[in-house]
Amino acid sequence: MIITKNISKNFGSFQALSDVSFEINKGEIVGFLGTNGAGKTTLMRILTSFLPASSGTVLIDGDDVAKHSLITRQKIGYLPETPPLYLNMTVKDYLKFAAEIKGIPAKNRRRQFDSVMAECQLEHMASKTIGTLSKGYKQRVGIAQAIIHEPKLLILDEPTSGLDPIQNLQVRNLIKNLKDQRTVIISTHILSEIEHIAQRVLMIKSGEIIIDETLDSLMRSHSIDESSGQSRAMNLEDIFILHHRDQESVTIDSTWVNNHG
Amino acid sequence: MDKIYFIAKKELMAYFKSPVAYITLVLSISIFNVFFFIIIDQNREVSLRDVFHVMEFMFLFLVPIMTMRLFSEEKASGTMEFLMTAPVTNMAIVLGKYLGVLVFFSILLSFTLIYFAIIEFFGSPDRLTIVSGYIGVWLEGAFFIAVGMMTSSWTHNQIVAAMMSYVILFLLYFLVNFTKYFSGAAESLIQYMSTLTHLEHFIVGVITVGDLVYYLSGIFICMVFTRLSIENRLFQ
Repeated sequence: MIITKNISKNFGSFQALSDVSFEINKGEIVGFLGTNGAGKTTLMRILTSFLPASSGTVLIDGDDVAKHSLITRQKIGYLPETPPLYLNMTVKDYLKFAAEIKGIPAKNRRRQFDSVMAECQLEHMASKTIGTLSKGYKQRVGIAQAIIHEPKLLILDEPTSGLDPIQNLQVRNLIKNLKDQRTVIISTHILSEIEHIAQRVLMIKSGEIIIDETLDSLMRSHSIDESSGQSRAMNLEDIFILHHRDQESVTIDSTWVNNHG
Repeated sequence: MDKIYFIAKKELMAYFKSPVAYITLVLSISIFNVFFFIIIDQNREVSLRDVFHVMEFMFLFLVPIMTMRLFSEEKASGTMEFLMTAPVTNMAIVLGKYLGVLVFFSILLSFTLIYFAIIEFFGSPDRLTIVSGYIGVWLEGAFFIAVGMMTSSWTHNQIVAAMMSYVILFLLYFLVNFTKYFSGAAESLIQYMSTLTHLEHFIVGVITVGDLVYYLSGIFICMVFTRLSIENRLFQ
C-alpha cells in the first residue's frame, strides 16, 4: 500500500528526515512513535503530499506521490494534528463541502454524508456550528472529513491529543471500529493507545527510523529481568524510553532503570 | 471546474455567515449613496463620472477588508492543510477563492445600479459611457481583489495581509501624482502602472485594448504569484 524509499527532508540546514524507508501493507494499522520534533508530522505531510520530500520517493498504491499527487490524494484521508475545521460552518455544511471537494459523485454524497455522520456519532450535531462543539466532537468531525470519501489509507496525526479520558476512549473506539479494512497510520504520544490499536510500530528518532516491527515481536524482544530472576514484558512506554535514554530531556522511569540501567 | 465552483461557494457562504459581509455591504452602499446625492446635487448633470471616482477611491479601502482573510485565515486555522491535501489543484483553490470574492464584489457593485436607474429616470444620460464606466470599476475591483488575495497568501496574519494590500494599492493609485518628477520612459511606465490613468479612460467611455490588457495581466500576475506562494512552504 505504501512504499517509501530513502525519504529525506531538509528545512534549510536542519535535516528533519534522513533516509527513511519502509513498506506498509494493505490493511495494516501502524503506529508512528517519536518525541516532539522527531519528524512524525513531517513524514505524514510528505505522505499526504502537503510537503514535498527533498529526496526519495513515496508510492501509494503504486502511484508516486510527487508525480501523481491528485490520484494519491484521492486515496488518502488525513487528519492533521490540529483538526482542519472551519469554525463558523455547521457540521453539515462542512462535511458537505468536504464531500464536494474530495470528488464524491453528486449521487453518492448524501449516502456518504449519512454514513460518516452515523459512524462518527454526529447525527444530532449536524446543524451545530463547529466553533461551539467540544474538543471531542471537533475531533470526530475531523475524522469524519478524513473518511467521507472512503479512502484506502487513513493518516491520523495525534487524533486523541488533548482529549479527556472518555473522549479519548470514544475516539479510539471510533478508529478501531472504522468500517472496511483500511490501512491506518496513527501517530500519538499516548503509547498505551498504540498498544490497543496498532499491529505494527515505526519509531522515529531525530528523523531516522530506529524500530520497524510488529507490536507482538517488539514486545517479545523486549523483556525485563526482575531481580527475582523471572522476566516480565516491558510495556511500550518502557521501550520508548529505553530508546530515548540519550536525550537529555528524557527523565527515565526509575522503576526499571534502577534494576537494569 | 466543479471544484472551483465548490470553493467559490464555500467562500461566499463564509462571507454571509459572518457579519463582515453585511457590514461591508451596508457601509459601502451607505457611503456611495451619500456621495451620489452630494455629487448629483452639486453637479446637476446626468453622469456618474464623479461617482465612479468615489467608488474607485472607496474600493482602495474596502477591497483589502474583503480579501485579507482569504488565505491568511486558512493558514492560521490549519485548514490550508485540508485544502492542499484534498484532490484539488492549487490553481483551482486560487481560482475558487478569487471567484468567491469577485461574486461578492459584483453583488456590492450591482446595488449601485440604482444610480443608473435614477439618472435615467430624471434625464437622458449617455448610456454607453455609464456601461463603460461600470466595466472599468468592475475590472479595477477585480484587479484590487487579485492584489488582496496575493498578499493574503503571504502571511498568517489578516491585519498584515490587509496592510500589505494597502501599500500596493495606494502605490498603484497615487503613482500618477509622481510623474512630474520623471521624464521619458520612466514617466510613461509610471503613467501605465497607475490604476487611475486606466479607469479614467473607461469613465469617459473609451475602452482600449491597452487598458484591458493592464487589468487582465495584473489579475493574471497576481494569481500566478498567489499560486507560487501557496506552493512555497517557506511562506507557511
